[in-house]
Amino acid sequence: MHTVRFFVLSFFLLSFTSCDVDTTQKIEKKNWQLVWSDDFEGVLGASPDAKKWTFDIGNSGWGNSELQYYTNKSENVALDGSGNLVITARKESFGGAAFTSARIKTQGLFAQKYGRFEARLKTPYGPGIWPAFWLLGDNINEVGWPQCGEIDIMELRGQQPNIIHGSLHGPGYSGGSAITAPHGLMNNRYDANFHVFAIEWNEDSIDYYVDDYLYQRIKKSEVKGTWVYDHPFFIILNVAVGGNYVGFPTEQTPFPQKMVIDYVKVYQEN
Amino acid sequence: MLFLLFFIACETDITGLDEAAYPTNGDVFLDTFSSGLNYAAFGGSVPTAFQVDKKVSYNNSLASMRVDVPNTNDPNGAYAGGSYFTSMPRNLSSFDALTFWAKSSQAASIDVVGIGNDLGENKYQASISGLKVNTTWKKYIIPIPDPSKLTAEKGMFFFSEGPENEKGYSFWIDEVKFEKIGTIAHAQAKILDGQTQNITSFIGVSNLISGLVSVFNLPSGVNQAVNASPHYFTFASSDNTVATVNQQGAINIVGTGSSTITATLGNTPATGSMVITSRGNYVAAPTPTKAPKDVISLFSEAYSNAPVDYYNGYWAPYQTTQSSDFIVNGDRVLNYTNFNFVGIQFSSPTINASAMSHLHLDIYLPNNIVAGTALKVQLVDFGADNAFGGNNDVSATTTFTTPVLQSQKWVSIDIPFRNLPTLTSRKNLGQIIFEGTNISSFYVDNVYFYNDGSVISLEPSTAAPTPTAPAANVISIFSNAYTNVAGTDLNPGWGQSTQTSVVKIAGNDTYKMSGLNYQGIQFGSNQNVAGKTNLHLDYYTANSTLLNVYLISPGPVEKAYKLTVPSTGGWRSIDIPLSTFAPVNMSNIFQIKFDGNGDVYVDNIYFY
Repeated sequence: MHTVRFFVLSFFLLSFTSCDVDTTQKIEKKNWQLVWSDDFEGVLGASPDAKKWTFDIGNSGWGNSELQYYTNKSENVALDGSGNLVITARKESFGGAAFTSARIKTQGLFAQKYGRFEARLKTPYGPGIWPAFWLLGDNINEVGWPQCGEIDIMELRGQQPNIIHGSLHGPGYSGGSAITAPHGLMNNRYDANFHVFAIEWNEDSIDYYVDDYLYQRIKKSEVKGTWVYDHPFFIILNVAVGGNYVGFPTEQTPFPQKMVIDYVKVYQEN
Repeated sequence: MLFLLFFIACETDITGLDEAAYPTNGDVFLDTFSSGLNYAAFGGSVPTAFQVDKKVSYNNSLASMRVDVPNTNDPNGAYAGGSYFTSMPRNLSSFDALTFWAKSSQAASIDVVGIGNDLGENKYQASISGLKVNTTWKKYIIPIPDPSKLTAEKGMFFFSEGPENEKGYSFWIDEVKFEKIGTIAHAQAKILDGQTQNITSFIGVSNLISGLVSVFNLPSGVNQAVNASPHYFTFASSDNTVATVNQQGAINIVGTGSSTITATLGNTPATGSMVITSRGNYVAAPTPTKAPKDVISLFSEAYSNAPVDYYNGYWAPYQTTQSSDFIVNGDRVLNYTNFNFVGIQFSSPTINASAMSHLHLDIYLPNNIVAGTALKVQLVDFGADNAFGGNNDVSATTTFTTPVLQSQKWVSIDIPFRNLPTLTSRKNLGQIIFEGTNISSFYVDNVYFYNDGSVISLEPSTAAPTPTAPAANVISIFSNAYTNVAGTDLNPGWGQSTQTSVVKIAGNDTYKMSGLNYQGIQFGSNQNVAGKTNLHLDYYTANSTLLNVYLISPGPVEKAYKLTVPSTGGWRSIDIPLSTFAPVNMSNIFQIKFDGNGDVYVDNIYFY
């Protein structure tokens, strides 16, 4: 697999003038220690580990005019018995919505400040399908959004199955004004194979990786707005259908659509 | 023609090279025809529908290809269609799609666009049906089902499009080229529409794998179905001693036992399979013996068959029945599988079986018969509108169970129309519908209507039987065989509406009464038949439902004798004992009378 570097080349030229980005990246090795993980081992059809994950349920649109009803049904979220968690978006009427899907999170169970957050997963596809692996500030219930901060490690529009985005939403730079960068694949798609999506986060910056390729570094010193990333964040995995970011699904959107997650791992730097 | 001359010159230096050296040029039409490209219009299409357009093009390039689709009834052709092909094959195996930009003068759906049409075998044809175009340029992608097959391809691009709502329009195509896109994913392949088909079969049977489907997810995330020729698929038989399958998906049963036919498309296993159980040697249905003139056939090798719309209507949504028809030793056999019900339709035209007496079909149930096994055969007449529905359809259903139904042997079923009172007409027969209980599959052969002789034409084609009574014993009123009573009036004016005439039937004078209400015959002289025993007459009527004959003596004294009508089977000869006519005076008979209805032919009226 060959990554498309021209998407981010200009960024690196500005930010990493000392790096040679044309060949392999020289990124300083860090000493990561695994502190939290889920390999999704278990029997076919089982729910994700209740000690690690909780569900968002409902069809509120989740602030994005999403069309799906999030459930905790095994048809929408379950282990596949082969070491993966599968979140399935279905075209079915449920609770007043035209689609069902699932959204799981570690809120109240696990949150962490700084470190490396990564997931190995295969995305769904099709117009109007919006999978995401992302973090929200654990203080969201006190300060609200976007003051709590949001770190999107991977978002994808199903009509562009070879491009993901990594983004940062905070006060003054949220929604359509988020700080964001795409990463595209040439001759491949994120739904055709597993890929590892990660951020590495410290008090100065957040680095965005696909398959250990650094495609975006967002520095605190360069963010025009308040830096709200010095408190713990929790993890969310979901597949939305429709919504402001991705647009409506069409008659041609294949259903059901599955996001297959091999693992989620969180590290701290020693 | 200019193109052809020019590019042949270009290619002379590479002729004679082996296949691996075929050009890998993926360009088809960018600003002009690419190297070695020819165009030919399809038969029946407007030959001039395609031209290079230098005014309209994508991205202001030098030229595009324009296709002018004709209006309905254009004398120059019914549609626009043609193929762009090379004389020198190209190696296209490094690409994964043909792409082009297109727009049209109005929103339209182009019937088919594709690759692999080389005006020859079209071995690796692949196409998209119903390509939606509109008035803005848009890029389109035809995924190649398996690029590795295209090492020597001549068919670069083809299209076929008819009028939209009977109206012609134009569309433009530009930047046609093979590309390695790399972001086509999720190949899906199906044979038999993804179903598992279980069939029981025999040595010598040929089957064709149908229902080939390939679907690819385009870079836009939407699925695109591609019509792929069987050559893109690789078929396999799990036991070649039972069944073989070739590159076209044609199966030959060669032995006894079981074999499963599967397929792959490139590296993608196709869903769907055919599970064959071969019982060994095939026993054919009984060969029909009815004379062709007495038969209207729908499905038989023994006769020429009437036009049939379909042998399986796939009536959605409740029909489960699939067809797995086969050919064994040159004999086609209908094979209905996953059977619940199925219809055979023959509506263009409907069939007038008025002159037929029976429906015949041979059926074979390959599986064991269980309790409750039943086969219903329904005949549907579409009525005068010759179309399904319209509140004038009539039908009749006959149900067959054991012991008529037998397992693993041919059973001939003959349904007499006379047993179908609810089928009040058979002038516009349009459908035969089978419905089953506990029959998972069955074969059908020799489906035909026939006349066992009981249904006769309005007019006899043969003369009445020649009488055998010795002339010396006979007093004849009307016959070519005897001397008739002189001066007899065959049409006395009694106020009747019947039209009479003497017509030649096969050269024989025959007395014809049309539109009978009543009709007399006045003898030339009163006859004493007291010394005779019988009145003889021959009669023929296809449509009379009531017919009486009377002898009359002065008074008048008359007595009726009822004749059986219609005269199914043809001429009826009857000898009526004169005693039947008592109290008529047999020593002084002077008239005969008929009453009833219909058209009646009578001959050989005599006493003996």
